[in-house]
Amino acid sequence: MPASKLERLRDTAVPWLLPAAILLGWQAAVSAGLVSNRFMPAPLDVARAGWEAGRTGELWTNLGVSTLRALAGFVVGGGIGFALGLANGLSRLSERLTDTSVQMVRNVPHLSLIPLVILWFGIGEEAKLFLVALGVFFPIYANTLHGIRSVDPGLVEMGRVYGMSRTELFTRVVLPGALPSIFVGLRYALGIMWLTLIVAETISASSGLGYMAMQAREFMLVDVVVLAILIYAALGKLADALTRQLERACLAWNPAYRSA
Amino acid sequence: MLLDAVRREVSSETRTDSREAGAAAIPRVPSESGQRGIAVTVRDLHKSFDGHAVIEGLNLFLPAGGFTAVVGRSGCGKSTLLRLILGLETPTGGRIDLEGPEGSLRRSEPPKRIMFQEPRLLPWARVVDNVAVGLSGQGTRAERRERALAALAEVGLADKAGQWPATLSGGQRQRVALARALVSRPGLLALDEPLGALDALTRIGMQDLIERIWRAQGFTALLVTHDVAEAVALADRILVVEAGRIALDLRVDVPRPRRRGDPDLARLEGRILDHLLGG
Repeated sequence: MPASKLERLRDTAVPWLLPAAILLGWQAAVSAGLVSNRFMPAPLDVARAGWEAGRTGELWTNLGVSTLRALAGFVVGGGIGFALGLANGLSRLSERLTDTSVQMVRNVPHLSLIPLVILWFGIGEEAKLFLVALGVFFPIYANTLHGIRSVDPGLVEMGRVYGMSRTELFTRVVLPGALPSIFVGLRYALGIMWLTLIVAETISASSGLGYMAMQAREFMLVDVVVLAILIYAALGKLADALTRQLERACLAWNPAYRSA
Repeated sequence: MLLDAVRREVSSETRTDSREAGAAAIPRVPSESGQRGIAVTVRDLHKSFDGHAVIEGLNLFLPAGGFTAVVGRSGCGKSTLLRLILGLETPTGGRIDLEGPEGSLRRSEPPKRIMFQEPRLLPWARVVDNVAVGLSGQGTRAERRERALAALAEVGLADKAGQWPATLSGGQRQRVALARALVSRPGLLALDEPLGALDALTRIGMQDLIERIWRAQGFTALLVTHDVAEAVALADRILVVEAGRIALDLRVDVPRPRRRGDPDLARLEGRILDHLLGG
């Protein structure tokens, strides 16, 4: 039906109206000379800068380096956070042993460790990996733990009465029950992942998107600085969209996550 | 004990009667039914939580294949009694013996099953997979699925097999829970106020369904309820529990299928209510 197709098109278009309007207004303001392009380049200039950086390959190299760092830190920190969250959710002993310490460390803003991390690791890859892993660890840990704690005890009892083994109880009752909460942690963690990486790269790096932006500042290339910022926005949106897809696939049973 | 022996006799007679009535009313599967029930003997049972006694010296015999209802005010210990018999709680004192068709019960053959007040379905498993949970890993995946589908058909939900539990109504979910409890052909089915959360009409439908399946399969049924009318409609024996003991043990001799509003049932219901309210 053309009517419903039109409706679907409208539904997809609506969220992009505002960004498009801002972009147009921005271009108009710079073109009309209302804003000096020394401070704020026009969108077309930014696009040109992007094209140029893409052509020389500089953009792709830096993007690749940053993505690899982000993912490596995410896998390490998220993996440890997930494992410890599971352990503490399933074992009282493990929780009593570690939770207090984790909560104490959590209250230290992880970016405040940058000076220390530079002293330890210099400006090498380890520094970035460490910071990203630390930042990603807490949301994954806290939400995994919370998810396991909030699994309906009635379902666990049902599983026991119906003769499920411990492994079955975990894979069929506890883990699926904790999944919505784990996804919340995942989305938080992805945000923190980019944030940490960009800050770390801005302060101490010799490659990556943050480094690219800092270099551009040195040479007063405002268009490249803005380009870098827009790329962060796009990457954040991409990570969020991927998580949403994953949520929809894994949580199809939950009416709150079912696609329309 | 002499009293126990007499009670046993009486109960098994009632059972035979009701069976015959059942056979006349609906054709039942000729194989195995009637010999699968688990008999339960409870001797001098005690249970206390944090020093507070809930069950105090309770004796009870449930013959194989009988339908017994336990009624009482809230907090009288009726749910605890059921949980003790199912092995969900450990007694503080006394003993509970379960006896299957081949003598003393080995491991879990035939299994004991429970239906809770809430359906307790896994929201992330399709309806048919939820029913297959009741088979706890017996047979191949395909066999489990086939048996689960058959059990769903028995409760009239064959067409919902592929759905998520969230899409079902409350009554339908409880029927899925019943199918899950029955798919393994249990020897003992404990019902812990399973219809308490349903509306009146759905309840009646469920009661009929439970009675029909009980008559066809011949398991021992133990129903805990605070609805005296429900107890009277379903059970062939009613126990009134008060302060951790059995205060009243009544036979229900009304033949099946029972008519709602039968004067005999009404009289019995009145008697139990008088006891509960007066006591």
